[in-house]
Amino acid sequence: MSAATQPVQELPAATLSDRIKMYMVAGRQAIIEQLQYRLANMMFMVHILIEPVIYLVVWTTVSEAQGGSVGGYTTAQFAGYYIIWTLVRQFNLSMGPHSFHWRIKEGRLAAELLRPVHPLQVDIGYYLGYKIPQVIYWLPMGILLWLLFRPEVNPELWQILVFPVALMLAFFVRFLFMWVLGLVCFWTERVDAIFELYFVLELLFSGRLVPLSVMPAWAQTVANFMPFQWTFYFPIEVLLGRVDPQALGWGLLAQLAWITGGYLFIMLVWKQAIKHFTAVGS
Amino acid sequence: MSTNGIHVKDLTKVYRVPEREAGLKAAVVSLLQRKHKEVRAVDGITFDIEPGEIVGFLGPNGAGKTTTLKMLSGLLYPTSGELSVLGHLPEKRQRELLQRITLVMGQRSQLNWDIPAIDSYDLYRAIYGIPQEQFTKIRDEMIALMQLQGLVNKPVRNLSLGERMKAEMVGALLHQPQVLFLDEPTIGVDVTMQRRMRTFIQEYNHKHKATVLLTSHYMADVQALCKRVIVIHHGTILYDGDLAGLVGRFSAMKTLVVSTSDMNGKAPDMAQYGNVLKAEPNRTTLRVSKAEAPQVTARLLADLPVTDLTVEDPPIEEIIETVFATPDEIAQ
Amino acid sequence: MLRGFQLFGLFSRISILNEMQYRANFFIQVFQSALTLTTGLIVMNVVFSYTQTLGGWTHAELLAIYGVFFLMSGLVGALIFPNIWAFMEDVREGRLDFILTKPEDAQVLISVRQLALWRLVDVIIGVVVLAIALTQIGQQSSWLQALAFGAALLMGAVILYSIILIASTAAFWSVRVWEMMEMIGSIFQAGRWPVGIYPDWLRLGLTYLIPVAFAVTVPAEALTGRLTPQTLLFTFFFTVFLAFISRKIWFYGLKNYTGASA
Repeated sequence: MSAATQPVQELPAATLSDRIKMYMVAGRQAIIEQLQYRLANMMFMVHILIEPVIYLVVWTTVSEAQGGSVGGYTTAQFAGYYIIWTLVRQFNLSMGPHSFHWRIKEGRLAAELLRPVHPLQVDIGYYLGYKIPQVIYWLPMGILLWLLFRPEVNPELWQILVFPVALMLAFFVRFLFMWVLGLVCFWTERVDAIFELYFVLELLFSGRLVPLSVMPAWAQTVANFMPFQWTFYFPIEVLLGRVDPQALGWGLLAQLAWITGGYLFIMLVWKQAIKHFTAVGS
Repeated sequence: MSTNGIHVKDLTKVYRVPEREAGLKAAVVSLLQRKHKEVRAVDGITFDIEPGEIVGFLGPNGAGKTTTLKMLSGLLYPTSGELSVLGHLPEKRQRELLQRITLVMGQRSQLNWDIPAIDSYDLYRAIYGIPQEQFTKIRDEMIALMQLQGLVNKPVRNLSLGERMKAEMVGALLHQPQVLFLDEPTIGVDVTMQRRMRTFIQEYNHKHKATVLLTSHYMADVQALCKRVIVIHHGTILYDGDLAGLVGRFSAMKTLVVSTSDMNGKAPDMAQYGNVLKAEPNRTTLRVSKAEAPQVTARLLADLPVTDLTVEDPPIEEIIETVFATPDEIAQ
Repeated sequence: MLRGFQLFGLFSRISILNEMQYRANFFIQVFQSALTLTTGLIVMNVVFSYTQTLGGWTHAELLAIYGVFFLMSGLVGALIFPNIWAFMEDVREGRLDFILTKPEDAQVLISVRQLALWRLVDVIIGVVVLAIALTQIGQQSSWLQALAFGAALLMGAVILYSIILIASTAAFWSVRVWEMMEMIGSIFQAGRWPVGIYPDWLRLGLTYLIPVAFAVTVPAEALTGRLTPQTLLFTFFFTVFLAFISRKIWFYGLKNYTGASA
């Protein structure tokens, strides 16, 4: 990369309303993009749904063989867990490894660095907008699953009210950690293995595979030191009505803490990453 | 109907393309209902090309050149019209025909980027069933002719654009096709390499009496290779005849580029010298007729503090534009 | 057919030579496979910590299914997916034109070009897992069973190839196929469990729509002595049928691509 394309590092002081406008424009773009691909989105939905349905079927089978409940979940509660899972999944979807790789390889990043807004900020707007069509596409599927599996979901009103907050924070936790991983792309092209490791850890320690309380004790202990459970298990349990007020408060705090940590870490590494990027000029 | 050349009559291709407006509202609407419109990419063209001819296929972007080439090579079904290449109907994609034609697209690569070209050539040998001995002989001849020795042993991704295109060209001709469809084969390639590729095409044509249909934005390619050109625009043929006729008529104009030192705002009205195409500070591009050019040049040199002056033929795109703008004159 | 194998040999040779340059990829593949294997085993352990059998299959028998699943996903990942990806990329970038101007069956050409050598690591792991599972089951497989297993495996691969090919022809209609492949990939994941546990509507889908059942469960049944000759025969007819249909659809897609159907 030549000197002429030095990235802008000092962001001009944008007002909050500027920032919000920018989020809205980026989000709108995502919506337009998504609406174009009806068929692709339906297939993506099936792709998203098949995973929890498999888990659900396995645990339903186990639960029924054990007289109707396993690890404190009834068969119907398992159904509720995995149906809420699908909604949470729609929400915490973020930029994956391929997008980051593509971004750097195709030279998109170079262009993005020249803009007076941090790419992270544009991504936030984009992915928030992205949720709207995704949730629209999700609705019929969610209803269908509800009819097929007859779940049992008993949230109190306050739990229903807090759920969107937990959901949004879950998105931010996962979004930021994907970004942290994305930064690895600045140093190496071989990020697949690293992302794979991330997804495996997430699968085991987030409640994505199975409610954390069903996992063995060692896994639950490990999970407490990781951000993953705040992206799946926690918001799901909130809407399932299985979280008491105290745990809820701590949970929200933990989400905020991980968000703050992730954000600070990105800002810290970002400068190094840019330095490396401009030096190597990939 | 000639069984050795190319025969095209009333060839037409109509595409159905989705129509979409900008904005969120249009996106929502298109979710439920999509509009289509018809585009006549090629609209009733007719021509014959004799075996051994090299014909330049000219026209601005989107004129229908590539669509025509694709129909000729069997990649697109015509909507209507007659078509024959070497006596075959291309759309049937019969082995006998495919064995005898080739397609080169300057913007697309068919060599595998991760391996040396020479390994890809081996594949072409298998695909076209070229006898080993003959293959080795042809391959080495072509490599030498293109000055690719050594380069064909490097992974293709490590070659420069020009080197890669030369390697592509060799790969496309290994099976010694009789009809060559070349779509912008020299695009983005530097002048020396362009010249080398031109010579190569010429020699191949000469040796094998091969028919060549070439599109190019480079006037030099066309001038060096083609006696005959077909100009196409909006899917119809505007001119079919020898190149001399086209250039002679439309290069009746010359382009003058005059640079002067700073005149402190006392610059004269440049329009008095000719048709001003572009005016920049201290630099003007003028269009004058070929006959007046020497006289205008002399006047400019006398009147102005000229630092640089060039006289050029208009670029090929511009000639085509002119052809398009004055259809009556051409349709003799 | 013979030319197809010849071309496959030639293309494979090139792929292998090429992949040998990137030996680090081998270790990355081993790492990823080990990761997937470990996760799979942990999941299975969690499930069997709560129950003795799952849909009538014991832990060891399920391990056998997992082995077949691993083996099959290795085959698909090494031989089928890379080719289909390359084909879809070619359509998108307009390079398919080069394939279509070659005097060779285009379906054959696009199906034999790529070989992701290191993905064969999964095939080896699959075989090892399968062997361990069979020892745990303690059942001696007869020659006949082994033969049936081989046949079922081959037919399973053909079935998967046909399904993936059919899906990929959507590229001819310029549909974004990435999502479709993701979808098939995740549906294939359903095959790591015996299809018998799924509710009827899903089991039918997994048997006839995206026939994971034939690809994984049937071979595993062959080895664990559950397979009936009728099922094997039916699998055979189904394989022939799908291969035929996929070729028809391929031609139909090609027709659309060249504007013949318009």
